[in-house]
Amino acid sequence: MKTIRFVAPLAAGCLALAACSGGGDDDTANTGPEAGNWHEEIEGSPLEVGVLSAEGTPGLAILQELADGLEADYDGTDVTLTFANTDARPGIEQRWRAGDPLDVDYGMFDGTNPSLTVWADDGALLDMTPYLEQNDPETGAPWLDRFSPAVRKFMENPSDGGIYGIPSELSLHVLFYNAGLFTDLGIEPPSTWDDLLAANTALKAAGVDPIAVTGLIEPYMGMWSDHLWLRTVGYDAARAVLTGGEGHITEDPGFLEGLEMLQQLRDDGAFLTGFEGTDFTASQAQFFQGDAGMILMGTWLVSEMADVIPPDFQLGVVPFPTVEGGAGDQGAVMAALQEISIAAESENIPLALEWSRRLTSVETQTRRAEEIGEVSAVVDVPSPPGIPGIDQVIADAESLEPRDYGILQSPANEVVYPEIARLLFGEQDAQQTLERLDEGLRRVHGN
Amino acid sequence: MHRAAQRRIIIPFLLPALLLLGVFFLYPLVRTVDISFTEWTRTGSSSYVGIENYTRLFDDPGYLNALKNAFLFTLVGGCMLFPVAIAIAWSLNQRIHGEKFFRFVVFAPVVLSAAVVALMWKFIYHPTLGLINPALEGLGLGALARTWLGDASTALPAVAFVTVWHGIGIWVVLLSAGFERLPADVLEAGRIDGAGEWRLFRSVMLPMLRDLFRILVVLWIVQTMQAFAFVFIMTNGGPYGSTDIVGTLMYRVAFERYEFGYAAAMGVALIVIMLVVTQIVNKVMKRDELQY
Repeated sequence: MKTIRFVAPLAAGCLALAACSGGGDDDTANTGPEAGNWHEEIEGSPLEVGVLSAEGTPGLAILQELADGLEADYDGTDVTLTFANTDARPGIEQRWRAGDPLDVDYGMFDGTNPSLTVWADDGALLDMTPYLEQNDPETGAPWLDRFSPAVRKFMENPSDGGIYGIPSELSLHVLFYNAGLFTDLGIEPPSTWDDLLAANTALKAAGVDPIAVTGLIEPYMGMWSDHLWLRTVGYDAARAVLTGGEGHITEDPGFLEGLEMLQQLRDDGAFLTGFEGTDFTASQAQFFQGDAGMILMGTWLVSEMADVIPPDFQLGVVPFPTVEGGAGDQGAVMAALQEISIAAESENIPLALEWSRRLTSVETQTRRAEEIGEVSAVVDVPSPPGIPGIDQVIADAESLEPRDYGILQSPANEVVYPEIARLLFGEQDAQQTLERLDEGLRRVHGN
Repeated sequence: MHRAAQRRIIIPFLLPALLLLGVFFLYPLVRTVDISFTEWTRTGSSSYVGIENYTRLFDDPGYLNALKNAFLFTLVGGCMLFPVAIAIAWSLNQRIHGEKFFRFVVFAPVVLSAAVVALMWKFIYHPTLGLINPALEGLGLGALARTWLGDASTALPAVAFVTVWHGIGIWVVLLSAGFERLPADVLEAGRIDGAGEWRLFRSVMLPMLRDLFRILVVLWIVQTMQAFAFVFIMTNGGPYGSTDIVGTLMYRVAFERYEFGYAAAMGVALIVIMLVVTQIVNKVMKRDELQY
């Protein structure tokens, strides 16, 4: 009885608190400055900016210099660089939900991913279109013209046509290969699936594991099925089935074809010895140490692994091999655009715009390409010298398609990549994988 | 009169604790239950959905798999922990030479952060570059080499082992305290009656420590059923869900799929399951008070 006397009022208080804490806040978004003269409205103030580069990296040093420049140019400016990469996202998004967003942040918008247009749809992001359409004081041309037309679909919100994200980096998914090793063994960089199989055979004959991959992170294994389906099914058709819940995976023979090709790699022993228990950092390091001849990865690989790449290592890149007779997109390249967005509630939108303008300037982007190997979506920025061949990949790309079909942020994530892992680990064959995928996708999509 | 005065004194002393309990335990608990009846958007809008999130749980193979793995994790880890911890605690109670050094060695991993330990063991388990497989091969036991974290049959025990390795020092300290509190006269009487140390351990010490074991088993269940860090860092639930536990599944559902309501329902269901399990364990292991 005594316990009840204590606990009941306490619980009632908690319930009241809980009831009061639900729902959104009433903060109204700032409308932003007049587009025509936003440059003149820039004033110094604190500015919190999300960054993807970790502490101590050259990438962060460049951004810090950019911040120092902004602070020097506008009295009272105090730029805080906040780490906003993958592991920090849950906490940062919680800040957005609580009405305390970063002024400039990553990962808040992607026009090609429905789960990443919701912030714009809910009015949390600034529509940058009017500002991007103004002439840049340095170039005399509209700011928007800086960006490659190939990435516009990532920047625009399909629902209202507004631009809510601008790219600071472009990550292309490509097949990296050990060019020195390939030259020594007389292997041609693979441009078709048959070339890839031939390269695998030659590498194995030389005692080198053909392909580095991690078995501890399923989406990295899934990059292989993603790309194969891009070639054998096509982006739109695959996305519709995998994350859109339209139709069934058994209805398009391209899915099974892709899985059978993946099984062939597995059966040929193409993957790194012990890949099942190898972490992604280790697998990438093993590629650069010559333990494996190729690795399918985003172009961030070079900047990420800069410290472990031997000085004499010769790197080459090619697009994912085409599949002869494949019903999908043979010229498409999968890509991820790292876009920055501005909070509609930012206290100093002109300063946030200026940060974004400077970050996406040809000068800054060129520096990032040359010093840290970032690929840029800004036109007139040279390709990073650390990734020889990337120019050709970009030039030959018929289209850039969003990576992973949006699987990672959909319920299909619980189904697709675990089944691909089972296939690669030898637990099941392609047909069984297809059947289990069909069963799982029907369950999560309810179709 | 006296009781009323006592109450007036007690309340100010209780208030800070009640406040902390309310803010850091009861409020989050009530709020979690509240959230579990709602459906959220990624941007933070919510709507009431009644018990839908709870009914989904019963049909969700991912949740049932995570629950099964959580129980397995608890069982396998418990089997690794308690025999070893009891043996170490008993040994340290024997006033052996260098006792302080051994206590330090056993307790040292506890002060390392879970992230550091997880990454270190991830390297140790590496199939080709790690320490275990090359050692096994060096000893002519190459047939025992595994991909450890990449094998669905060994990944869960491998992570459980690391959890035990990291935390065993705490359990040894708790068990040592239990051994030290055993009445010396009872043990002495046993020795006078001719019992050897093993017989004393088996027939006198273990029965007398039964209540302590009961509490420690309950604590272990509570700790491991809500485990997260080691699994998240070492395998993130893989390969193909074989190490997925409720904590890692909840994290993905909440922060990758943004289904906060469903994740909250998973958490509430886990609390209920833990309460039931711990009550059962308590009942099964409880015995009449020992008189000596």
